[in-house]
Amino acid sequence: MLNLSSLQPRQLAAQILNFALVLSTAFMLWKGLSVATDSPSPIVVVLSGSMEPAFQRGDLLFLWNRGQDTQVGEVVVYNVRGKDIPIVHRVVRRFGGGTGPLRLLTKGDNNAADDTELYARGQSFLNRQEDVIGSVVGYIPFVGYVTILLSEYPWLKTVMLGLMGLTVVLQRE
Amino acid sequence: MHSTLVRAQTAFGFFTTVAFCVAALIALSGFVSPQTPSADIKLRNVQVVRGRPNYYSTKKEEYAHIKFDLDTDLSTLFTWNTKQVFLYITATYPSLKPSEPPSSAIIWDAILASPSAPWHQNQYEAPGTPDTRKSDPEAQKAIAAPGILHLQNQRPKYQITDYTGKVANRSDVVLELGWNVQPWVGALTWRGWSDWGVWKGLKGGRTERFGFPGVKERVKVQKEDLGTAKGGEGNRGKPA
Repeated sequence: MLNLSSLQPRQLAAQILNFALVLSTAFMLWKGLSVATDSPSPIVVVLSGSMEPAFQRGDLLFLWNRGQDTQVGEVVVYNVRGKDIPIVHRVVRRFGGGTGPLRLLTKGDNNAADDTELYARGQSFLNRQEDVIGSVVGYIPFVGYVTILLSEYPWLKTVMLGLMGLTVVLQRE
Repeated sequence: MHSTLVRAQTAFGFFTTVAFCVAALIALSGFVSPQTPSADIKLRNVQVVRGRPNYYSTKKEEYAHIKFDLDTDLSTLFTWNTKQVFLYITATYPSLKPSEPPSSAIIWDAILASPSAPWHQNQYEAPGTPDTRKSDPEAQKAIAAPGILHLQNQRPKYQITDYTGKVANRSDVVLELGWNVQPWVGALTWRGWSDWGVWKGLKGGRTERFGFPGVKERVKVQKEDLGTAKGGEGNRGKPA
């Protein structure tokens, strides 16, 4: 019944364009949010349990990166130099700032020790401007869990993309 | 065309719309619930010692050990959308360079669980908290009104070091109470000093200015005096 060969070429092209529009709209929304929040990644998914019970794996966090004067007690997301894994931890100390760089020390609520050992070799503080990609301002529980599933089971990505493509292409008004 | 797929899509779409709207209403409801937090914090004792402040410290440095008294009434922070309140005390002290703003560090923190939150090992149990498993009416009352603390001569959880390695003889140090309200869904909020809508700013919650004394020799200080309070953090050893 639903058969690609039964589609008119014009209709098929329209459906493909439609699919491309959906993808580019999502991409534009993401980049727009990125500009508005001044953060390369304005929405992140919590990947570890180191901030429990505040955040659990799979929770969705909204970041804000305008206002570089981060205070102690804020929860920031940073990337360790040389590794591309975002880490969500709370600021427990701040030094410097003013004309020089603002330095931060972070700690997970569920970790007994601060993050000194987690940082790159020879680094004992975060540089607010270089390492931090945003400060957490909003929270939605659990809805990001699907991305954890997708990264842990890569074949799900293929299945999902395939299904999305099929539904858009085969949808007829 | 009303195939099963279309019906399923419509049902799921409606579900997400309703869920999103309800979540948004819950998230906004917190902003119309009045808050009147008050706190009283007093410095009890401060010492500066040279040594290794933590078991994982690699070098010897000066560190400050601060004991304090704390009385709080933060019960209005707990609404139906509050999961927990992360309560902390910061010590703020001027930097050595005049161009730099003051540095600050957390010396003590506690996770105050809302009555609606499930038990977690990291949650703080204030001294004298009655055993919740007993169906004692007094215990029930204590659970119903979280955010009320009375701590005397409390040990810090963390000792303060500075990146210069020196903290002795600094003046104009001040202890301040802060918190972060963690909702079930919505915006995270922090302690404010001034009024904002129906939320009153924190009344009290700041000590008089004091100074860090000179370095005391480690041998002259009782080891017990420098002990820190332990939290319930699950990950010991290397942070994850």
